[in-house]
Amino acid sequence: MTDLAKGAEPAKDFTDGVISTALARDEIDPDEIGRQKPQKIGRWLRSRNMTVGIAGVFLFVLFSLITNTFLTMFNLVNMVRNVSLIGTVAVGMTLLFIAGEVDLSVGSVLGFLTIVFGGLTVGIGIDPWLTALLVILCGIGTGLLNGLIRTKLNIPSFIVTLAMLTAYRSLALIVSGDRPVSVDPTGTFYVVTGGTIFHIPFLILWMLAVTFVGGLVLSRTRFGYHVYATGGNLEASRDAGINTDQIKLAIFAITGGLCGLAAALLVGYLHVAEPTTGTGLEFLVIGAVVVGGAELTGGRGTMVGTLIGTLIIAIITGGMVLLGYSQGVADIATGILIIVVGTIDLLLRHAGARR
Amino acid sequence: MSSSHEPFLVARGLSKNFANVSALQGVDLDIFDDEILAVVGDNGAGKSTLIKILSGAHQPDHGEIRIDGKITRITDPLRARALGISTVYQNLALVDLRDVAANLYLGCEPVRWGWFIDRQAMLDGARKVLADLKVHIPSLTAEVGQLSGGQRQSIAIGRATSHRGRVIIMDEPTAALGVKESQKVLDLIIRLKEAGTAVLIISHNMRQVFTIADRIVVLRHGRNVGTRWRSETTPDEIVKLIVGIETGQGV
Ligand SMILES: Nc1ncnc2c1ncn2[C@@H]1O[C@H](COP(=O)(O)OP(=O)(O)O)[C@@H](O)[C@H]1O
Ligand SMILES: [Mg+2]
Repeated sequence: MTDLAKGAEPAKDFTDGVISTALARDEIDPDEIGRQKPQKIGRWLRSRNMTVGIAGVFLFVLFSLITNTFLTMFNLVNMVRNVSLIGTVAVGMTLLFIAGEVDLSVGSVLGFLTIVFGGLTVGIGIDPWLTALLVILCGIGTGLLNGLIRTKLNIPSFIVTLAMLTAYRSLALIVSGDRPVSVDPTGTFYVVTGGTIFHIPFLILWMLAVTFVGGLVLSRTRFGYHVYATGGNLEASRDAGINTDQIKLAIFAITGGLCGLAAALLVGYLHVAEPTTGTGLEFLVIGAVVVGGAELTGGRGTMVGTLIGTLIIAIITGGMVLLGYSQGVADIATGILIIVVGTIDLLLRHAGARR
Repeated sequence: MSSSHEPFLVARGLSKNFANVSALQGVDLDIFDDEILAVVGDNGAGKSTLIKILSGAHQPDHGEIRIDGKITRITDPLRARALGISTVYQNLALVDLRDVAANLYLGCEPVRWGWFIDRQAMLDGARKVLADLKVHIPSLTAEVGQLSGGQRQSIAIGRATSHRGRVIIMDEPTAALGVKESQKVLDLIIRLKEAGTAVLIISHNMRQVFTIADRIVVLRHGRNVGTRWRSETTPDEIVKLIVGIETGQGV
């Protein structure tokens, strides 16, 4: 059977000779000549992270050269900390994109949940740890609501979450009376959220931990496989017995939960809950995910890619701000980057694939 | 041949309506354990509807299905699989962006500790399934969207066979293939039969049907207008049944 089983990449139980003989035989097959480039796309996917990574390094070097404050420990740490909540929420958004869904409401949900946090811990006086837990549960609730409307009523997630974007922002403004609430930042909760360890902000560690767990779930679990399958071919997944609605519901809930986590982290860091928090966050989160290689059409994306995308947004924003531009100008630069990356992807796709 | 024993699956009086279209009207069908059964008929005759009922994708409006003599409801594709019925759909139902191994195990990935993919088991199993089918796939980690039509067909069939079912249903498995790739699929179907798996194949190709089938079921306007042993009929008779020139009742 060895000559038939040449697909065995990791297993070392047959020789290169056998493999290449078999391959050579296949290449003589006139039906299949020129169609066999299976390794290429895998290499390309890996190299896509590579290409985007190189672009990031290029920007990094560029900003290091044209400013003298960019390449300082203080700035680098600041820069990454500034995107750590984007990176945290982007983990959920990556899952959604891979499943062919999107959540535009993340920024508003985050803003609303910071208000909930402030209300619970200041207004009612609940312990911040418990508050954080409740806020995460509340976030899961918002995600479930998005997911239920998406799957049960079969309304496109773009529409559902666009409505929620407005709804939660308004709710945040109404509930808070448009006034920020300050929290009393004493206790370990405020250390492990807003503090640092060995000069590294906990916010960054939270982002890395969430990304790591997200990556593990996506690439190593049956759930992750089903997320890819759902976005890759919905009907085939259903025929194969995958409960695609349940998968979608779960990842909307995960995304909502991550918004809750981000809200708790943000209040832990800023010590204030403001109703306008997170305005426009969806743009940066989706930007990170798209630059990272996920596509709204589903089936494509990785957590490593999203992390790279997040860091590139950090570099662009950080660099532009150091150059004296406003966040608004930095956002324009990010927008241009998204379009450039999207165009390159499209061109590569046409060049690399048959369809 | 398989005439001596009881059929594994017996369908009686299957009817199915879509809105105002009557896709099936009282179709009877038997499937024996080690035969190749061809279902033929014009476009719109109800072939796909019939196999979708058998594979759990559709529920019949009327009629009953018995498996090993017991009345059985095939409620969904998973149930069908559990009953030993696997289907290779006309569109193959592959996830193009996923690799060969993930597609072979779509929906039933082997896991450790309940959650984590047992990648090694998956690769070993995939290798074995493909080896049993004698098909060449250059890499188990290649995205199936990058493979040729024949290789994709093999993976879809491999997935169906890996469930170790009693019957594999194939909806026009060679329609999108070239001559050479079609021949490979036909060889594979014969090997499946030799290994004791029944195959129900839908095909428009009379030559193919007469090369591999043991029995031929002809559908016309949603009715079973004839069932013939291959050895007791001719392509001419089958074509006449398909177009409805000479109606005769079969076995
Ligand atoms: N999902 C459906 N909705 C409405 N009509 C359908 C559906 N599926 C099949 N039909 C109709 O049922 C009839 C039989 O179709 P089908 O089983 O696909 O035929 P075949 O596979 O033999 O070409 C056709 O008239 C077709 O238009
Ligand atoms: Mg059909």
